[in-house]
Parts: sequence; structure tokens; C-alpha cells
Amino acid sequence: MPIIEAQGLTKTYKVFQKKDGLLGALRGLYHREYKEVKAVDDVSFTIEPGEMVAFLGPNGAGKTTTLKMLSGLIYPTSGTAQVLDFLPWKREDEFRRKFALVMGQKNQLWWDLPAADSFQLHREIYSLPLADFEKTLADLTELLGVQKLTRQAVRELSLGERMKMELIAALLHQPEVLLLDEPTIGLDVVAQVAIQKCLREYHSQRGVTMLLTSHYMRDIEALCDRVLVITHGKLVYDGPLVGLTDRFGAEKLVKLLFDGPAPSDLGRFGEVTKVEGPTVDLKVERTRVAEVLGAILDAYNIVDVSVQDPPLEQTIAKVFQQAEPANVDA
Amino acid sequence: MVASLIKYARMWASLGRYTLARELSFRGNFLVKISVEILWLFILIAFFSTVFGRTKSIAGWDEWQYMFFVGCFFALNGLIETLFLDNCNEFAELVRTGDLDFLLLKPIDEQFLITCRRIDWGCALNIPMGFGVMGYSLYKIGGPVDPLSIPIFLMTFVSGAAIAYSFMLTLTSLSVWMVRNQSLMEMWWLFSSLARYPREIFVGTWASPIGVFFTFFLPILLVVNVPSQAMVGLLDWRMVGFTLIATVLCLGASRAFFRFALKSYRSASS
Repeated sequence: MPIIEAQGLTKTYKVFQKKDGLLGALRGLYHREYKEVKAVDDVSFTIEPGEMVAFLGPNGAGKTTTLKMLSGLIYPTSGTAQVLDFLPWKREDEFRRKFALVMGQKNQLWWDLPAADSFQLHREIYSLPLADFEKTLADLTELLGVQKLTRQAVRELSLGERMKMELIAALLHQPEVLLLDEPTIGLDVVAQVAIQKCLREYHSQRGVTMLLTSHYMRDIEALCDRVLVITHGKLVYDGPLVGLTDRFGAEKLVKLLFDGPAPSDLGRFGEVTKVEGPTVDLKVERTRVAEVLGAILDAYNIVDVSVQDPPLEQTIAKVFQQAEPANVDA
Repeated sequence: MVASLIKYARMWASLGRYTLARELSFRGNFLVKISVEILWLFILIAFFSTVFGRTKSIAGWDEWQYMFFVGCFFALNGLIETLFLDNCNEFAELVRTGDLDFLLLKPIDEQFLITCRRIDWGCALNIPMGFGVMGYSLYKIGGPVDPLSIPIFLMTFVSGAAIAYSFMLTLTSLSVWMVRNQSLMEMWWLFSSLARYPREIFVGTWASPIGVFFTFFLPILLVVNVPSQAMVGLLDWRMVGFTLIATVLCLGASRAFFRFALKSYRSASS
């Protein structure tokens, strides 16, 4: 039985269209023009308990809006959702006890106080038994390597340390569902890896269900097997991460090592993306790989050859650019 | 119900502790704030002492009855400013930045968390100072205090605070649509300006309708008036009854409006 179920979720905003200049601003006092923006358009999916799912999409695609509807922060214009068998936007206490939302660009800890004080307040809000609270806190601070930082004012922590504290605050009450909105944004590679490691271990220990948005493919590859891709508010792909390449990657990357300088006429086989001495990267349509390889092997002396999928970032970028919702069936 | 009340009381105490620790870390700001509040009380007392140097009474209130009223206003205003004003004032910013998200996600009453999460300790001194002025005024009035008047005073004082809180909560709720709500402070200033004078001063062609409106429709004039009257021998039982009814209606209506407003919350983009 799914732990998260969205059916036809739609969110439309009325956005004020401000006219240019002072005259436009004055006119806006008595006559305002609004534009309807469909941030999320008829999105449906289900997530089973224990899954780690990535939510991918370009800026403004509707990822965060969907997460906010699933966490009950905003009401959908139409459609419905069930999270942990609750209607999220009723915001029942029992529901709010069982999930957590981490937002990489927002701060829930008290800025001027040590994180430890925010954690204590958290314990009281969630009515956590002291022994459980202390054990979970000790485990999490050790996992993230921040034992010595919890008594330092939050404003004096680095971005990476602060994000670790945010993650601890989100996990203290041991949520069953964890929604993460770009948890590693702006962090250096070391902090990113630490957050990924924490999430992975927490998932393996507790089996928490995670839905994660991130622009860093490293996060996605490290944590998620399944991805939901959303563009223009519509869900355009729901499936395994590896399936993205099969679905949207129309080309393969053929890496060739010639016995001598690389020939200059390889453009007739595909798009030459890199030439370094005897090494050439050649992008070839998937359906023509065998034919092109055969022709190249016949024509030239090849020392080594390999055929790869293009980097995931490139495939994702292509999905975002090409996947107009009208042209792609979900 | 009782367990829930205890839980909320404990949480409020914890929030109070954390905000005190926070304010004390900015010692200079804390001390300046307290000094300003003390100065403000002395200016008020000096002003009304000067006025009563030239007249025996204002709208039926003699000097020490009026000073009791001033003390009551100061204590009640101090209570509201200590417990709620900063929180309500910050609400528009929480809406504008989207930081309200985290408050809405906590398994706790949203109204409590939004309006009570910080205590402005810099204003807290106004409460004992106001009670000090009230005590000294009673001493100057002389004569025994009717034992019944004390519980009535406490009850109507709390009711007055609840009416003021409701008014503030309603103004705060508007921020969900207005996003920038700088007018809140101005409206609160209007509120406290009206509440700091006895409602009996509103007489005459122009003032009388204002007095009626702000007593029976928007009961701002009850907030300080009724508890003060209870203690200085001007008690009007009908107004006590009306104040209690008005308190329940104001609390209920403002809470309903607040919850309605939250449904329109859009959560600023991250």
C-alpha cells in the first residue's frame, strides 16, 4: 500500500502583472491584471514505504510546489493526495509528527541560539521521551560529525554545518516520511557527501521513505533508484534512474583510441565532441552504433573502443529542454 | 484537556527561557529598551499630574482613579507587548520569506506557535511598573478595597488582554494576503491610543458615536476601562458582563479568521 499517493494534483496561482514605471504602479492601485500560472498540472504518482525517490525538474517546474502540497503547507487547486493515510493540508498533529520537510534554502533553527536549544524545543513540541531524544541526537551528531558544534550559536556555523544541524532537527522525531528540497544546495563536495552518507545510513537503519529534489546529479545517483521528472508542472517521467537514458538518451558516446593521429573525417559518422591526439569522443545515434562501429573498424586501425551512455546531467538537461508535456506521455 | 494545557504552559515557559537567553546575549539593546520603557511611564505620569494640577477630574475620574487607569493601561499594554506584539509584527515577514512553512509543520497549534513563540523581555518590566502605579494609586485613594473587586479586576484584566490579543491577531492575519503589513504597528498604535483614555471622555456630537462604536462594536474601550472601574469604585456590572461576552466573541472570531487566512497562504518560493 503506497505511503504517498498523489492523484491529479494541480496548483494554480494568480500572479499580479505589474506594469512598467510609475504610471503603471499608480494604475495598479485601482486596476490590477492577474495571470493564471499552473505551477503543478494534474500530477499523479505513488510511492511505496521505504522508497528513495528523486524529484527532478528545472527551476520553476513545480517540484517544490508539489512537496509543499504533500507536506500540507498549501492547498491544491484540484486533485488530492494521501501521505501516511492523512490528507496533508488538514495538518493534523498526528500527521505532522510522522514526517519532516528539509528545505536547503530555509532555516528552521533559532538563528541566535545554539542548535542544542532548538533541538530541546523540538523535543518539547514533539513530546519526545528524553532517553529516545538523547540517543537519536547522539547518533545523528556522530553520524554527521558535529558533536562539538551543537553549543555554538547557529549564526556562527558554516553553511554546511548549519545544514547538518537542520537535518538533525528534521530527523530527531524519527519521521516515517522525509521530504527534502535541495538539501545540499550551495554546499561544498565534502559537506554534500556527508549529507548523502547520513541520509543513506538513516534510510538503511530506519527504512524511512524519502522524496528528494536536487539539482546535483551526484545526490540523485548516490541516493535514489527511482526518479520523477516534472517540467512545466507536468510529470513526464516516472521510472528507474537508469531508464532515463533509455527513454530520453537518443545517442551513445563512442570513445575511440586510434593507432596514430585521429583522422579528420569522422564527422560523417556522428558528432565529434572531443579530439585529443589519438583519442576521439564521438556522439552517435543509438540505432546506428553497430553500423558506425563496423564502418570505423573497417576503415581505420583502432587500439581501443568503448561505448557509453552520455553523462546523466546531459540526458537530464535534454529531458528538460525537449520534454514539452504535450509531446511526452507519462 | 488538562494535560494539553500543561504541555502548552511548559512549552511557553521554555520559549520564554530561550528568548530571555537570546535577549541577554544582546545586552546593550536589552538595557536601552528597558530604560526607554521606564522613561515612557514617567512621561505619562508627569503629563497627567500636570493635567490634574489644573482640574479635579476628567470625565468623572479623579486624579488617583485616573492614575490607577494609567497604571492598568501600562500593565496591560506591557503584557501584550511582552507576549504578542513582536510575534504578530514578525508574521508578515514570515509570510513574505516563506519561513512560516516551518511553523506550520510543527505538531502544535499554529496560532500558539505563531503568536507566542517569542517573549519580548525588554517590555516585561512594564507589567510590574504598571501594577506598582495601580498599587500606589489605590493607597492614595484610601479606604478599604472591596474583596469582590479583586477577582473581578483580575478577570476583566485578562479579558481586556484577550480582546487586545484578538484585535492584534485579526490584523496579523491580514498579512497572509497583504504580505507586507507595515500598517499593523500603526493600527496597534491606534488601538493603544484609544485604550489609554476612559470611554467616558467620548461625549458630544462627534465623540459620542466613536465611543459607542469602540465600546460595543469594536470593544477597544472596554480593555482598560472595565478592570480599572472594578477597582476604583466605579464598577458597572452590565459592562463586566458585556466585557466577558465580548471576550469570548472576539477570541472565537479572531481564531476563525486566522485559520481562514492560513488557507490562503501561498508559501514563498524557495
